[in-house]
Amino acid sequence: MDPKLRRQLGRIVSWVLTFLLMMIICVPGLWVVLTAFRPNAEVLAKPAVWVPQVLSLNNFAKIFGFAQEVAIPVPAYFANSMIIALTSTAIALLIGMSGGYAFARYRFRFKDGLFLGLMLSRTVPGIALSLPLFMIWSRLGLIDTKPGLIIVYVAMNVPFTIWLIDGFFRQIPIELSEAAMVDGCTRWQAFWRIEFPLARSGIASAGIFAFLTSWNEYALASQLTRSTYSKTLPVGLMDFTSQFTIDWAGMSAMAVIIIIPALALTFIVQKHLIAGLTFGGVKG
Amino acid sequence: MARYSPKRLFRNRMNLVPFLLLLPAFMVLALVVVFPLGFSLYTSFTPYRLIRPNTLHVWIGLRNYTDLMGNGDFWAAFGRTVLFLTIALNVEFLAGLGIALLISRITWGQRTLRTIMMFPMMFSPILVGYQFKFVFNDNIGILNNALQALHLSDGAIAWLVDRNLAMFSIIFAEVWMSTSVFAILLLAGLLSMPRDPVEAARVDGCNPWQVFRHITLPYIMPFAYIAMTIRSLDVARAYDIVHVMTGGGPAGRTELLWTLIARTGYNNAKMGMANAMAYISILLSIAFTYFFFRKLIAARKFMRGAD
Amino acid sequence: MAEIVLNKLVKNYGRTRAVHGIDLSIAHQEFVVLVGPSGCGKSTTLRMIAGLEEISDGTVSIGGAVVNELPPRKRNISMVFQNYALYPHMNVRENLGFGLKIAGQPAADIAQRVDEAAEILGLTELLERTPAELSGGQRQRVAMGRAIVRKPAAFLFDEPLSNLDAKLRGQMRAEIKKLHQSVRTTVVYVTHDQIEAMTLADRIVVMRAGRIEQVGTPMEVYNHPTSAFVATFIGSPPMNMLPGTISGGAVRLADGSALPVPERAADNAREGQEVLLGIRPDDISPVGHGLSQDGPGAELTLTVAIAEPLGMESLIFTRIAGQEVQAKLYGPRMVLPGEELVFRLALDRAHLFDAASGASLEAR
Ligand SMILES: Nc1ncnc2c1ncn2[C@@H]1O[C@H](COP(=O)(O)OP(=O)(O)OP(=O)(O)O)[C@@H](O)[C@H]1O
Ligand SMILES: [Mg+2]
Repeated sequence: MDPKLRRQLGRIVSWVLTFLLMMIICVPGLWVVLTAFRPNAEVLAKPAVWVPQVLSLNNFAKIFGFAQEVAIPVPAYFANSMIIALTSTAIALLIGMSGGYAFARYRFRFKDGLFLGLMLSRTVPGIALSLPLFMIWSRLGLIDTKPGLIIVYVAMNVPFTIWLIDGFFRQIPIELSEAAMVDGCTRWQAFWRIEFPLARSGIASAGIFAFLTSWNEYALASQLTRSTYSKTLPVGLMDFTSQFTIDWAGMSAMAVIIIIPALALTFIVQKHLIAGLTFGGVKG
Repeated sequence: MARYSPKRLFRNRMNLVPFLLLLPAFMVLALVVVFPLGFSLYTSFTPYRLIRPNTLHVWIGLRNYTDLMGNGDFWAAFGRTVLFLTIALNVEFLAGLGIALLISRITWGQRTLRTIMMFPMMFSPILVGYQFKFVFNDNIGILNNALQALHLSDGAIAWLVDRNLAMFSIIFAEVWMSTSVFAILLLAGLLSMPRDPVEAARVDGCNPWQVFRHITLPYIMPFAYIAMTIRSLDVARAYDIVHVMTGGGPAGRTELLWTLIARTGYNNAKMGMANAMAYISILLSIAFTYFFFRKLIAARKFMRGAD
Repeated sequence: MAEIVLNKLVKNYGRTRAVHGIDLSIAHQEFVVLVGPSGCGKSTTLRMIAGLEEISDGTVSIGGAVVNELPPRKRNISMVFQNYALYPHMNVRENLGFGLKIAGQPAADIAQRVDEAAEILGLTELLERTPAELSGGQRQRVAMGRAIVRKPAAFLFDEPLSNLDAKLRGQMRAEIKKLHQSVRTTVVYVTHDQIEAMTLADRIVVMRAGRIEQVGTPMEVYNHPTSAFVATFIGSPPMNMLPGTISGGAVRLADGSALPVPERAADNAREGQEVLLGIRPDDISPVGHGLSQDGPGAELTLTVAIAEPLGMESLIFTRIAGQEVQAKLYGPRMVLPGEELVFRLALDRAHLFDAASGASLEAR
């Protein structure tokens, strides 16, 4: 075949494939978003109504308690999720910075072993961990409390945060902090004035990753929380299915509420996140 | 000489610093992971039931484990989990590789595509489960609706009820959620690849397939191992998906180790037994992670020359 | 006063010893260059002086006080790193002023001293740029500026010019020399480039495998190397080494031919000793095209293997007694491979080393 024609064809094929790919990625989510703005009657209609006839914010109004039936306390869940995710992220970042710095800048005994142990601690399936945690937390009175979940999420996020931050610190030449120390800094000052500012964007993306993990977590939260006092959004989402019928429209509206912060953060971090994952892994 | 000289003390103090820095991390992990796991190891040797607290102090040795050995449901769930992971990880790797190769060739809109590709990574697994429960719903799901509108099928296909279709649906949801980890890392690998070796190989007479097989693939494999390691850290997130989509049902046809653990521990209140199962699932996860982590370390050493 | 004294300085990395007990005193305002092949422990030594590397044994004193336990910031030194180590998130002005700011100097003083340093190094135009916006030579200058603003007791340089191209390196070398003449501070300068060592140093310290091989002024080290290692390391192209045996007051070479024992080693050469006869390329020249035509010498007819014309001189590769040697021809004369020429060896400038130990047999 004529090479020019072949190249044309190749380009068309790759565009078609890309289009299909994006359809598969986007359509399910978009359908959920669309459903969030439609009345349940239309969602359940048979045969299917493809072009929405009615679009309204009713579903959101309902779950936020502006309508008559206040079935599910979404605002409380939202607040819980925010508080728990933000607090656990902040703590995990502090611990992760300290640990990541240790791995990036010091040589010490058992270094590889400790790192592996850290990673392995993250692999314990949430549901497997939830069993003993449930028993211990009930004895400590931590069941259905925000601190109870925050501690768990800190532990869940620390290993990966250390991995990412270690990678970012390694990218900063060690001579910079040495130069700062010769210039009169203590190691502590050299960290805060030189290494921290340079790793800041990486640390921020590690933080966003930690935030998302906490924000999205279900297996542990579903066992360790009970009431509006500590239930998070993913757990609250299941409130909709507790009856025999599913309120698809309401659930979709709540899904939109869960996904918006996550999507917003994805836009912000994507560049750093990719850099962090690859540097942490390959150049480590 | 001078064994107790100030110099020695100074050096010891220096060596303590990294351990102090790591202390908070290991303290939290001890509290949340190590200590509870020790406790659950203990309970796995008891017939502990939540409703009868004094059973916590009855020691039955390995009975839970020997019971498990003969428990057909457990082994079915175990086998299904291994199958599920094997299929999902392989499909994710291959699809991720395909997507990465596809996008690496596209020059226009590449960054946008990459961003969109990252979306599923950011979805809560519980949302992914919900989303696909909705998509695969036999009555109102968009998939059946579309198939019917296009006259590709007349009746409603019971995606989440039929044994094979339900497993397919779950794997599809899992792959949808996690392929982007592979795609993104492999794409990063492809984009960071130097051109010279590829060009040298072309000059040496390799055809495109040979270039891919002998130059490109070895270069991006470490990136694949990173993705595998990251993925193996949270393969158990699939619990959320299955929990929402089928709850392990119908009739245990999509029961994975993790949903079985939850059912045994919380619904049937057999904590001791559930912990024994949990231990086996932990070993499985650790085995997966360790396997990929070793490959990653080896690949890392290879790329840097030495440690 | 900032003399630096190293006393039996040792550095161990785990089981391996990188520095084997170095003794060295560096006088106030002296410019000392540590030179040696890669991996010989130069950087390690320098970093122990700076306080960036823990001292395994021995002491470092600066200005009369032992500083082993002091962190870098308390040693009153400044350092220029091979990769400059400029702070990427600060502009040139902030980079220069960083040390002063940390020391808590008032802003007006900082500004004034930064401007002064910028003036000296010709950085005034670049003060608002970030390191990423500078060329290699400019970065190098900023790194030096950062070292001088603090007016430290000593400057430490670790291969500061090795990332520059040859022309820029020559230029910066001159600037460093000028700088030292104007600020007059003690300098310890690490390089593996022997030309830098020769041109910059008041005294050269030649290191090898964690030990000091020789200390001396550039001329001492060049004219009176104490070992075959120093002789081949200092000087370019390197000194030729002809293996031979002392027999009957002459050096008998591999092919049985004999050359007279150089006069300066005559007292120490024992009959039957295995030796290396060292002679620099400058001292092997075709008759009529050499540097020194008088004094004791030997004349040999040799065949040119390769000739590299360099303009007013040519480098000639040939063989003496089977051993490849380099020779120099002075003057604009074309030499062709295969040509046979009579070469004169200026034996008054030749050296003799013990073959086993490498030690010089020169009487002193
Ligand atoms: N952190 C370290 N751990 C173990 N060995 C080291 C370390 N740093 C240096 N060494 C070893 O110490 C020896 C001296 O190293 P040093 O960096 O001082 O050499 P150098 O003379 O500066 O060489 P170059 O000219 O290449 O910079 C080398 O053999 C090196 O391998
Ligand atoms: Mg060095």
